[in-house]
Amino acid sequence: MKFRGLILGCMLGGFLVPLLPGCALAQATPSAFDHVVEAATAARERDDVPQAIGLYSRAVQLRPRWPDGWWFLGSLQYETEAYPAGRDALTHFLELVPDAAPAWALRGLCEFETGEYSQSLTDIQRGLSLGAGKQAHDETILRYHEALLLTRSGDFEQALQEYAPFTRSKVSNPELLVGIGLAGLRTPLLPRDLKEDKRDLYLAAGSAAFLFMSGDEAAARQEFQNLFQRFPTASDAHYLYGLLLFPTDPDQAIAEFRRELEIAPSNAAAQLMVAWDALMRNDFSTALAYSEKVMAEEPTLPSARLVLGRGLVETGDVKGGIDLLEKELRLEPDNFEIHLALARAYSKSGRKEDARRERLLCLQMEKSATNHEVRR
Amino acid sequence: MGRAIELPGENPTFKAHPKMTFRRGAYAYLVETVGDKTTYTVTDGTNTLSLPIRWSFGVGGQTWILEYQGNLYDSLVSYYPAIDGLDITMGDERITPHTLEEAMGRELKQGETKACFGCHATNAVIDRKLTLESMQLGVTCEHCHVGANAHLLDALQGEFASVPPKLRKLSTEDISNFCGQCHRTWEAVLRGHFEGEINVRFQPYRLANSKCFDGADPRISCLACHDPHQDVVRQDSSYDPKCLNCHAASTQPASAAARAGAPPCPVAKANCVSCHMPKVNLPGGHLAFTDHQIRVVKPGEPYPN
Ligand code: HEC
Ligand code: HEC
Ligand code: HEC
Ligand code: HEC
Ligand code: HEC
Ligand code: HEC
Repeated sequence: MKFRGLILGCMLGGFLVPLLPGCALAQATPSAFDHVVEAATAARERDDVPQAIGLYSRAVQLRPRWPDGWWFLGSLQYETEAYPAGRDALTHFLELVPDAAPAWALRGLCEFETGEYSQSLTDIQRGLSLGAGKQAHDETILRYHEALLLTRSGDFEQALQEYAPFTRSKVSNPELLVGIGLAGLRTPLLPRDLKEDKRDLYLAAGSAAFLFMSGDEAAARQEFQNLFQRFPTASDAHYLYGLLLFPTDPDQAIAEFRRELEIAPSNAAAQLMVAWDALMRNDFSTALAYSEKVMAEEPTLPSARLVLGRGLVETGDVKGGIDLLEKELRLEPDNFEIHLALARAYSKSGRKEDARRERLLCLQMEKSATNHEVRR
Repeated sequence: MGRAIELPGENPTFKAHPKMTFRRGAYAYLVETVGDKTTYTVTDGTNTLSLPIRWSFGVGGQTWILEYQGNLYDSLVSYYPAIDGLDITMGDERITPHTLEEAMGRELKQGETKACFGCHATNAVIDRKLTLESMQLGVTCEHCHVGANAHLLDALQGEFASVPPKLRKLSTEDISNFCGQCHRTWEAVLRGHFEGEINVRFQPYRLANSKCFDGADPRISCLACHDPHQDVVRQDSSYDPKCLNCHAASTQPASAAARAGAPPCPVAKANCVSCHMPKVNLPGGHLAFTDHQIRVVKPGEPYPN
């Protein structure tokens, strides 16, 4: 695993040290504790990791509320691949220093290795939101794991978005491509859990998507054609190409979704995109019909309720649509699309104040989103 | 709207100006009309490219669609009534042409061509394909009255009973969205990140941002102020009754309920739009639109987005 190498090499260097709580433990007389700490520091500085781990373990036994000890212990254990122990040490640390972004992130990476995937995703996201990804290479490691975990938990679109920055450098490796392939073909697995005889398919899909996302649409078209020829019955391949095309060429995208539905007639994700496209071009009865199918087949699909809610609003069941959208908003209060949909629904039904509130909110969200883009 | 696209032979601008010229950098332009044919010529002094104008887009400002080696181009130079002459096409100011072909115009991508003709013509896009053979020029009855052909003759003879009644039943919010198919919906403007003065041309967006707007009140619908079958009314005072439908002073007939929340003007009794719906110039300066974000305009305040 390439990324592990990266983490091992630099975690302690650039990434974690800045967060260290300063050693504010000056004490009058040297105690047993102080001797242990001194020895531990010396062992760590001469890279004698097993010795350092032993000494830090002693130190935190002597003084369980010493955060630095737990931190060094956890990160050194992570470094030696003692993941369960590292996770536990970091848990102690986080009880003492709950807003330490890198510790959340590092505990998430430990949990990734111990197979506690949903906790891992939560911790990595918490770490990122607290600022653990301030340095580019830390962010890379964390986003990569986040994308893998999102894929594993079935949040494929979000995973693809997390992969987007990786395509800008145009440098890829097979591991990354398989990861993108898994998200693109909507397969909730980690690369390491993929059967060997399936790898080629995901590698090919990932390569094609990578080319598209890096901006080389002509080469991507060729790669996708190759993919379709080599794997004519693979489900979600046409869906993936359609999804990538949709923002710039919805007509061609729809053709791909329709091809997908010929191969896999019950592909709910493809149906949902057909419904969304119909909504966007005011073909409301088509939108409603497709979104109802999606809800029957895969009601947990993200956005299924959004599209159905909008479909209902547009075809006359404004109240039913608003109910559905408001329910969805409670689950995802920051979802721009739901606010947009509600603005229109309230406006249609004469709830002027509510409509105005939603509109102002959307305008605000849109502004901060564009400012964000500009800064990047 | 019926004249959103025209053939050169029917274009009064060409009749009135059989010879228009313009120069920008190394390139000189000539738009010349002889009989029914108008040619668009660009030269760098050594080489010359001369193409017939296939279609004119716009009745005020005009941009021309040219055909060159089997592809469609948007002319780099347009006609503007405000200067009664030619200048660079809005949006193309940033283009620095390096070849005669680039100086002639901008090649339209497939999706773009479909979009232009989709909004400016009728039946130009069928089954998501550009079908110029079936195209009718301009926004004709059928574009708004789907399946209207059968009813058309009745309507033209004044028998409106058989016109599809659907449009009349739309809410104000829905009318905004209906007109917004072409004039851009509130949502489309947000998604397109059109910020600043350029969004003044998107009336459904601006109107929805006004405090006057109520998606269920027909007195503020596009149709309250515009008849899509007629040219736009250019007399400020003729809009006063529309405003006073909601903003009447107490001596006027509107009921108290109708006035709820809509105060009368402390400053003037007529020509409301002249102060509350100002004209805004687009970047480039040759085109102005009416700001539909009805509001108290404070002197010196920046354009509210
Ligand atoms: C199919 C596209 C389309 C739709 C739908 C549409 N418009 Fe237009 N409209 C246009 C185009 C194109 C022009 C510009 C004509 C030009 O400047 O050449 C225009 C121009 C106008 C003008 C200015 C006319 C003038 O005399 O200067 C008004 C007012 C107008 N539209 C109102 C409406 C209203 C109200 C609706 C909804 C009932 C509507 N439009 C729906 C395409 C459309
Ligand atoms: C979504 C619908 C839509 C699309 C797509 C569209 N237009 Fe327009 N266009 C309009 C409407 C509505 C107007 C009239 C009101 C206005 O100017 O905003 C207009 C006005 C114009 C005008 C008059 C001058 C001006 O700028 O107001 C020109 C010229 C024009 N369009 C050319 C084009 C060309 C060329 C394309 C394709 C590259 C195109 N339009 C694509 C809707 C559209
Ligand atoms: C830009 C869109 C648009 C175009 C183009 C258009 N109409 Fe309409 N038409 C409407 C709308 C919107 C209404 C509903 C008007 C209302 O409720 O006041 C309407 C209503 C009508 C009515 C019913 C009259 C009434 O007041 O209820 C007739 C008749 C009609 N249109 C005929 C035509 C004919 C004929 C043409 C072509 C010459 C045409 N329309 C072009 C949008 C359009
Ligand atoms: C309260 C009255 C009012 C309402 C409602 C209204 N307009 Fe206008 N509109 C005007 C006035 C006033 C003008 C300027 C007329 C002139 O040129 O003097 C105008 C001009 C226009 C023009 C010509 C281009 C421009 O901006 O100057 C278009 C197009 C237009 N309106 C479309 C719409 C659409 C679409 C809607 C619905 C979303 C709408 N209007 C709602 C009053 C209104
Ligand atoms: C459907 C009824 C309605 C129509 C038609 C209408 N308004 Fe209003 N307008 C209101 C209401 C209600 C408010 C007060 C909103 C508030 O304070 O929340 C308002 C507010 C205003 C304000 C104050 C806005 C601000 O930013 O403080 C002005 C100015 C105004 N209207 C002018 C006009 C003019 C001019 C017209 C005609 C072109 C017009 N209105 C048409 C309902 C209407
Ligand atoms: C000469 C310019 C001018 C004209 C014409 C004009 N107004 Fe005003 N209007 C103003 C100004 C300036 C204010 C702000 C006054 C203040 O805040 O002291 C204002 C305020 C308003 C307000 C807000 C009142 C409030 O209490 O918040 C409304 C509503 C309004 N005008 C409607 C109208 C209507 C309707 C007309 C046409 C009958 C009209 N105005 C004509 C300049 C004008």
